[in-house]
Amino acid sequence: MSEKHSSTIRMVWVVLIAACLCLLIPASGQTPVAGKANSSWTPPRTPDGQPDIQGIYARAGIWGLAVQQLESNGPHGAGNPLDDTGYNRPGAPGHQKLPNRPSTDDVKPQGENGRMVPLAGPPPAPTWRVGLVDPPNKALPWKPEEDKKRREFLLHTNPAASLRYIEYDARCALPGLFLNGGPFQFIQPEKEVVILSEYQHYTRTIHLDGRSHLGGGIRLFMGDSIGHWEGNTLIVDTTNFNEFTGFTREIPYLSDALHTIERFTVIDDNNIDYEVTIDDPKLFTGTWKTAGLYRKGKEGFEIVEYACAEGTRTLENIFGQPPVSSK
Amino acid sequence: MKIVEFAAVAVILSWLQASALAQAPTATPTGAAAHRLADGKPDLNGVWEALNTASWDIQDHGGQLGIPPGVGVVEGNEIPYQAWALTKKKENFANRMTADQTEANCYLPGVPRITYMPYPFQISESSKAIAFSYEFAHALRVIHMEGQHPDPNGFLDTWMGDSRGHWEGDSLVVDSRNFNDQTWFDKAGNFHSEALHVVERYSLLDADHLNYEVTVDDPKVFTRAWKMSMPLYRRIEKNAKLLEYECVFYLQEERYKNAPFTSSH
Repeated sequence: MSEKHSSTIRMVWVVLIAACLCLLIPASGQTPVAGKANSSWTPPRTPDGQPDIQGIYARAGIWGLAVQQLESNGPHGAGNPLDDTGYNRPGAPGHQKLPNRPSTDDVKPQGENGRMVPLAGPPPAPTWRVGLVDPPNKALPWKPEEDKKRREFLLHTNPAASLRYIEYDARCALPGLFLNGGPFQFIQPEKEVVILSEYQHYTRTIHLDGRSHLGGGIRLFMGDSIGHWEGNTLIVDTTNFNEFTGFTREIPYLSDALHTIERFTVIDDNNIDYEVTIDDPKLFTGTWKTAGLYRKGKEGFEIVEYACAEGTRTLENIFGQPPVSSK
Repeated sequence: MKIVEFAAVAVILSWLQASALAQAPTATPTGAAAHRLADGKPDLNGVWEALNTASWDIQDHGGQLGIPPGVGVVEGNEIPYQAWALTKKKENFANRMTADQTEANCYLPGVPRITYMPYPFQISESSKAIAFSYEFAHALRVIHMEGQHPDPNGFLDTWMGDSRGHWEGDSLVVDSRNFNDQTWFDKAGNFHSEALHVVERYSLLDADHLNYEVTVDDPKVFTRAWKMSMPLYRRIEKNAKLLEYECVFYLQEERYKNAPFTSSH
């Protein structure tokens, strides 16, 4: 029996590795579904029957360099002040020529402000799909007039022409779903998945109790999230965003029509594949997808206080002191 | 008429009896037996809110323009300030519009003030972890059920403290230290130093009410430890949930609406 069992395990590995190799092929024309390889994995369960994914996590992909480099629609060259950030400047450390990056990337989480989470285990594969996975050619389906507006917007960001052009992380605002690499902590009360973030000390509560979305009059930085489990995949539907959710430096805002579908697929004890479908009909003619990997942190790691507004002087430094009378 | 009254009383009595039977008739906490996690701990999950005026003043106070009157939440009403500290408290009160960092700058309000501000908060509890999330400024406290407070000499002070929890019977006891000296207990200037030590006890009275008791100690400011207590109410609305009160963001929108301030350069 153990012989048979181990050969089954070997087979699972073969399938897994094969699946991962598929992921390595850039521009394969298909969005790989990492979850398919792990259907035999049996997660521990919470008392209400959810796959138990509680713990500390950091996230690779979605946020940070990989996505910024992959997003090739920004205006490059002397006219774009973003080229001076160091990410895209030729010769800068880490510079990579656009847009010839493979669709897979480092499985190392970026962390926030250098605070790295000690990881509990290895990644499911040496590389994993992170960043834009759909469309495969990485050309986002911008409405031409909206892309033009965005490019125009970017030209006013450095120096910021007004408050509207300040990046939201510099304002200590809630970052939306994308601009954060962790640490996170997942807690699963009955019929909820609660995601705590050290960065900007916020909480996302994903309601699994079958409720509907909030009315359209309520707009939120983090949106309103309802979800359900399908096997080992948590599917989260989020609406009610305000118009301030950014994606990267090069996509500094999405619209209040944003609708996201997130898929958290548990790969093994230490890894969750993450895929987000972004539907924003005000800005794009179609949907697109980005992916990442949540990696579990070692037990005992604790989220600490990230006080932002209490210490920042960014706005004073950029704009000068506001008049005393205008509180 | 009489029959109708009798019938109504009978219905109410039988309902009371039924609900009493449905709940464990044991002493403390009534009804909590029906709301426990699989591991037997009281289930504190949900959205809660205080319903008092402690946010304006934790002591007895009359009404003023913009200040709702209220009976205080401090046991015995007196706060045992050291002499210098009482002077300082009065000074704070006089300067409260600008000196209260929470009011003036939307800074994190500290503990226990965050609990009784007029915004709901959420308790997320499983057998593995507990966290308190607040609508005001999306404040977050992870209640660590293991480990100890960091050494105050090797760890930066925090606005919301370092919180360590444990269960005493059916009460969740949260011990918090490592505070800074920047927050007040209310808008009336009641204050503390970085030596603040707060012990909170959360005990279910029934499914929808928590008794919230706080012991405050700060040997640099007070002559002895003192207590406050109040009920906390479950937000029983269908689909109750925390929204966002982004105080800092709103304040920036107001302060910097005409930025950049070329005249100041």
